Amino acid sequence: MNTKTSVLVSESSIGDTLRDLLGKLLENGEIDSVFALRETRQKGRYCYSLITDPTLIREALPFHPVMPVQGARALSEMTITEPFGRPVAALLRPCEIRAFVENVKQSQGSLENIFIISCTCPGVIPASKLLGEDREDVLANHGGNIRNACRTCTGFIPGPQADMTVLLASDEPHDGTVIYLNTDRAVEIAGKLDSLSRETGKPAAELTSGISEAREKSLKDLMRDIPAPADGLQSLVSLFAACIGCRGCREACPLCSCVLCDYETARTLHSPELVRSEAKRKGSVRVPAGTLQFQLGRLMHISPSCTACGQCSDVCPVDIPVSDIFIRAANLVQESLDYAPGRDTDDTPPMATYLEKELLDITD
Amino acid sequence: MNSIIVDFLEKALVSDYVSSVLVPSGGPDNTFPWTLISDVSALAMAEPVPPVMYVQGAKALASFTQSMTEGKLLAVMRPCEARAAVELSKLEQIDLDNIILLTMDCPGAVPLKEYRRDAGIQPDISIPETIRPLCRQCTEFTSAGDLCLAMHGGLREVLPLTPAGQELLDSLGMKAEPDTSAWIEWASSLKAEREAVSTENRKSLKKAYSGLEGLVEVFSGCISCRSCRTVCPICYCRLCFIDMKDRRCPASAHLENSRSSGAARVMSGTLLFHIGRMAHMSLSCVSCGMCEDACPSDIPVGRLVSMVSAGTTAVFNYSAGSDPEDPLPLNTFRLEELHEYED
Ligand code: SF4
Ligand code: SF4
Ligand code: SF4
Ligand code: SF4
Ligand code: SF4
Repeated sequence: MNTKTSVLVSESSIGDTLRDLLGKLLENGEIDSVFALRETRQKGRYCYSLITDPTLIREALPFHPVMPVQGARALSEMTITEPFGRPVAALLRPCEIRAFVENVKQSQGSLENIFIISCTCPGVIPASKLLGEDREDVLANHGGNIRNACRTCTGFIPGPQADMTVLLASDEPHDGTVIYLNTDRAVEIAGKLDSLSRETGKPAAELTSGISEAREKSLKDLMRDIPAPADGLQSLVSLFAACIGCRGCREACPLCSCVLCDYETARTLHSPELVRSEAKRKGSVRVPAGTLQFQLGRLMHISPSCTACGQCSDVCPVDIPVSDIFIRAANLVQESLDYAPGRDTDDTPPMATYLEKELLDITD
Repeated sequence: MNSIIVDFLEKALVSDYVSSVLVPSGGPDNTFPWTLISDVSALAMAEPVPPVMYVQGAKALASFTQSMTEGKLLAVMRPCEARAAVELSKLEQIDLDNIILLTMDCPGAVPLKEYRRDAGIQPDISIPETIRPLCRQCTEFTSAGDLCLAMHGGLREVLPLTPAGQELLDSLGMKAEPDTSAWIEWASSLKAEREAVSTENRKSLKKAYSGLEGLVEVFSGCISCRSCRTVCPICYCRLCFIDMKDRRCPASAHLENSRSSGAARVMSGTLLFHIGRMAHMSLSCVSCGMCEDACPSDIPVGRLVSMVSAGTTAVFNYSAGSDPEDPLPLNTFRLEELHEYED
């Protein structure tokens, strides 16, 4: 059965259609809760919420163009110790799904009972751009304001883990709502929603080839323009010159899940004696030491699984293009490892492959 | 101001009374990294009072001074940074024994994000809009540490504040005994002005975000990046209470929360984190504003901690960083407790 091109359509807007759909699913007990964005009590500030009351679904903002917290990070927090016991519908962007799949592979969460509704993603606006009074204008000019990471994102069509995909970004503007039913579960659920009509449609890839081309081109530009460690340390030193060491990039990254970062351990921290003797030897040293060590170390740890979400750049208070640097390195590393984060739950992460091999070596 | 300090540092370094100097230097891209200098020629790059605060000076100092055995270090920093250094010495993170702290009449610092957008902005003590909200209400803008460069009341003079400071001046043969009355007058009148501003600001902050409901509102935009904690000189815990395993909030707990109100915020622990941090910081917060500068969500987190701190320190009759001999209230308890067990 080719479910890929089986779609639900509605004349109403995407937000209304989804809220209606989610409300019904909550009411008829098909799902138990909804994981979606809401605006907080302060204008222009958003948070992920777990909604259980069908009447509060009206507050959900499906695919509002902002990512206050990477969705995978929030889902991981909830499912690291136990999976959801009853079905939850999670509205996630493609990079959030990829990151969560990586979390699951690294035992940092569970996909059990999570019904994923995703979208062909037009990108999100940096959260800081929505803090000002001009937020309506910023939202209106969505395309001109999206993150760098989104501009270069070629993975904007969700992977096989998405049960439903809403056609959000498309080459031709379209009225109403088109929802792809990607899995049997989605088809089953769709069967219970009589207000939406079933049709067959063109695959999402066909309707977004223009966007895909533009993104490929931006990614190529990024690969050309952004320095990598191999280009020599100097360019990285100046890129990270303004780094205040807040580690927000690490805290926000859905893949940095170490409880104690390697770059805060006795192994990597510079001893006071070393710092002082270096100052004596060289005449002067920058303190606190280890800014670049942290960045390069994180780059090494994360580049095999970086899902190019851009969250790290988003939180950086001094606007260092952190994700540009990570995305460039990730592209090179992932290509050489033939690894695509989030592609398949059964793909073994590169590190784990080595681990297995090591075990075999020892048992031989 | 910069050149007077650089001259002073040079004299001190050449004299061999101090063997190294900690001072911000001009870096690439309008940055001012802290540099530990032992060679006089490296002073050429020194920018002792940069327009912004990238890294809190006490944090930089603590990264290499847990124990100080060889030689004296002269560190130049803003008053709030020097006060944080004093706090950190009480918390056994800095060994101040061989460290001399030089401060100045602080002009304040430009908000970091504004400065990154426009590096032309310079802090001007007489134009509050050019400096950070916490600087505008800062009442301890001068005379911290062992020595202070006075730049007002007709002075351009390094004044000793402690015996250690006096000893350095003596060894450099700097004997001037200037008339400080006009400077003291300047400082007390600015202090009075700032005290009024700070009382007013704290009042309106309290009013705007009163009680638990108010805190929920003000922190609703918090994205849990924990930058405020990481950049705070006083938050030195290796493992923060909020990251302990039993604080993990599983799906079932989130669902329970959600059922009670219909919808619950995910990324739990935001409020617990902030209230906990306020409690931990409230005795030692030096109101330096670094946390607020780092917050990507523009939450007035420094003003809030500082407000809570003003209350707590009043209760304990304690003032963060002002006197190295004044023990931290909790440390006193600790000692008393020890003695109780001895009895
Ligand atoms: S490194 Fe940055 S872009 Fe990559 S997954 Fe982490 S937050 Fe996203
Ligand atoms: S978020 Fe920016 S300033 Fe903070 S540690 Fe990362 S790169 Fe440095
Ligand atoms: S809070 Fe501002 S004005 Fe006060 S000492 Fe610090 S930098 Fe100077
Ligand atoms: S809580 Fe904020 S204002 Fe207070 S000492 Fe820490 S960084 Fe400075
Ligand atoms: S820096 Fe701001 S957003 Fe980050 S944890 Fe602190 S208050 Fe929240």
